[in-house]
Amino acid sequence: MRRFLTLALLAILLVGLSFSAERVLKVLMPIGGGYTIEDQEAIAKEFEKDHPGVKIEMEFVGWEELWDKIITSIGAGAAPDVMYIGSRWIPALADMGAIIPLDEYITPEKKAMYYDTVWNTVTYKGHIWGVVRAMSTKVFIYNKKLFEEKGVKIPANWDELLEAAKKIYDPDKGIYGIAMCGKKFVSTVTQFQQYLYANDGKIVDEKGDVVINDEKAVKALEFYKELSKYAQPGIVEWKREDLIKLFETGKVGMYIDHVHNARRALEKGVDVGFFLIPGGPDSDKPYATVIVTDCISITSQSKNRDLAVEFINYMTSFEKQAEWDLKLGFVPPMVKEKDLPEFQKWYWKPYIEAIKYGYPEAVGIKDWEGVQEAVLDAIQSVLLGVSDAKTALDQAARIIEILQK
Amino acid sequence: MSSKKTVPYVLIMPLLLAFAIFMIYPLYKIVETSFYKVSFLNPTARLFVGFDNYRWLLNFKVFNPKYSYFVTALGKSLIWVAGSVLLKVIIGMAGALLLNSKFLAGRKVYRALVIVPWAIPWAMSSMMWAWTLNSQFGVVNSIMMKLNLIEKPITFLSDPTMAFVTTMVVDAWVGLPFMIIMFLSGLQSIPDTLYEAAIMDGANEISSFFKITLPLMKPVILTVSLLSLVWTFNSFDIIWILTRGGPLRATETLPIAIYNTSFRLIRFGGIGKASAMTVVQVLIVTLISIFYIRTLEKGEIR
Repeated sequence: MRRFLTLALLAILLVGLSFSAERVLKVLMPIGGGYTIEDQEAIAKEFEKDHPGVKIEMEFVGWEELWDKIITSIGAGAAPDVMYIGSRWIPALADMGAIIPLDEYITPEKKAMYYDTVWNTVTYKGHIWGVVRAMSTKVFIYNKKLFEEKGVKIPANWDELLEAAKKIYDPDKGIYGIAMCGKKFVSTVTQFQQYLYANDGKIVDEKGDVVINDEKAVKALEFYKELSKYAQPGIVEWKREDLIKLFETGKVGMYIDHVHNARRALEKGVDVGFFLIPGGPDSDKPYATVIVTDCISITSQSKNRDLAVEFINYMTSFEKQAEWDLKLGFVPPMVKEKDLPEFQKWYWKPYIEAIKYGYPEAVGIKDWEGVQEAVLDAIQSVLLGVSDAKTALDQAARIIEILQK
Repeated sequence: MSSKKTVPYVLIMPLLLAFAIFMIYPLYKIVETSFYKVSFLNPTARLFVGFDNYRWLLNFKVFNPKYSYFVTALGKSLIWVAGSVLLKVIIGMAGALLLNSKFLAGRKVYRALVIVPWAIPWAMSSMMWAWTLNSQFGVVNSIMMKLNLIEKPITFLSDPTMAFVTTMVVDAWVGLPFMIIMFLSGLQSIPDTLYEAAIMDGANEISSFFKITLPLMKPVILTVSLLSLVWTFNSFDIIWILTRGGPLRATETLPIAIYNTSFRLIRFGGIGKASAMTVVQVLIVTLISIFYIRTLEKGEIR
């Protein structure tokens, strides 16, 4: 009996040792929207090679389920060490105490590597909560052939934009002036925000007051609806991520999207051109774009903070970041990146130029998911003709006001 | 106690244990949680709020000033479930009769094929339907346009009413194989001699269906439709993938609303309120089931 016990103890000890010999870092990663499992796993492999004794355990979740996954894993006390998140979630996660401020881990050199706008997207209550991994600006991608055929010039304001969509629209031939989206998904909000910002509107202003139902916003939503008359039918069932499938058939005049999808259309043989999103009637700026960033954060449940910081720094070193942006087709968040030869290519230019007209997607918004629901309801009810823009946005404002308290 | 009496209990012990662990305990937890305000980050730090969460079910009218969030979702659920189960029973019965008919060539092939929707993971079939019904690329619209049946593509998933019906039909499609198989086995257990005797007595096909098939199938129909009722009431993935409860909350049935309350409406909702919704849903489904069984049993004894 004693021999058996000793053996059992030894076995337990051995198992325990083999576990402790490896430091495990749990990382939650999204897939979709440009991210693939292969790309992410390659980073983990490289990090493991440079750091013997460290094991990166990556878990992958589609963007659509990422928020739910984060919330449930935090609630269950099984949060990963490192999470890849949309920066729009920072206020909610920070208020919950789910992520930790990273100020002490970010060196002045690191800070100087990025544009200030980039840091703004991950700052909340005076602290930095994540290191930006991907940034995007968006511009209009247009089909040069269709524009030439119909004698449409590049729109410089909203009237011309509408005119262009109208001229190209030819539903009998299956040709649409513009591709738009209205599905219940974050990218629909972003897509509407492009017009909102272009008309100098916001969801919430810098002070945190709700302005989604002011005149500028109402005009933006009315314009969105007006434009949708010349878009593909049933836009309420489309999300932006799928619009490329429509555009690359060569039957769409224009739409707003990432550079990586523009490259995809080019590969499919569409003659692609670009123009910045023109400012609306109430704006004194010529162009606008929504700046969206994704960042990497450390959870408060993590017991490997130092290793987590090391991993984040590894992922976001200049070389790795540039490699990532080039491979996936994201706008460079680091200042020095824009001097790299690849970013001089003509199709990158408009996206980098747009940065200076950009405004972050979620400044001042405390509970993005709640706000997103409210704005989506407003967009959908206007697109479906259930209510007019003012009524719909008033309702959204009522909800958002409660959420901002 | 003699060993004769203990043995059966010992033998069913594992089952009872599993039942307690997987059914009673979670249910108890939900009931308990429904009386608390629970913090997501720290589930152990909870605040007892009595019946507040239940009052919330009737009071929370931010999205719809007329009916509360819960009542709206419940109403949608009831219509949706009734429609879907009805479709499953009627088409399931028709399909089973067809597959049972002696005149159908290649019955075995069809019987195997009928399983396919059931064998595909639900998430997968929902994705498939989402593209099939897409108004731009969808094959359904394409065929109907080519046949000149419609002029403009039908927006199956983007019009609120249409989306409600579409999700219902897709749910019925997924549930059909089970119905057909169950009905088929029921039909096969009806002896042929009964039909032969009926023909001798001058009955036609229709009267023999109503006088022989239907009465003898009653127990099967009862059990299967009851199961289907409960499953359909809990159906989540199909709606979630097709519409995520949209457009305009048109397909936000109770399971979707419960999910949203717990994970998405973090400020308005929370686990406590979601638990209260779940408790009420369980009660409603149980009541409907009891009522259903009673009425059908009554008809049986007569």
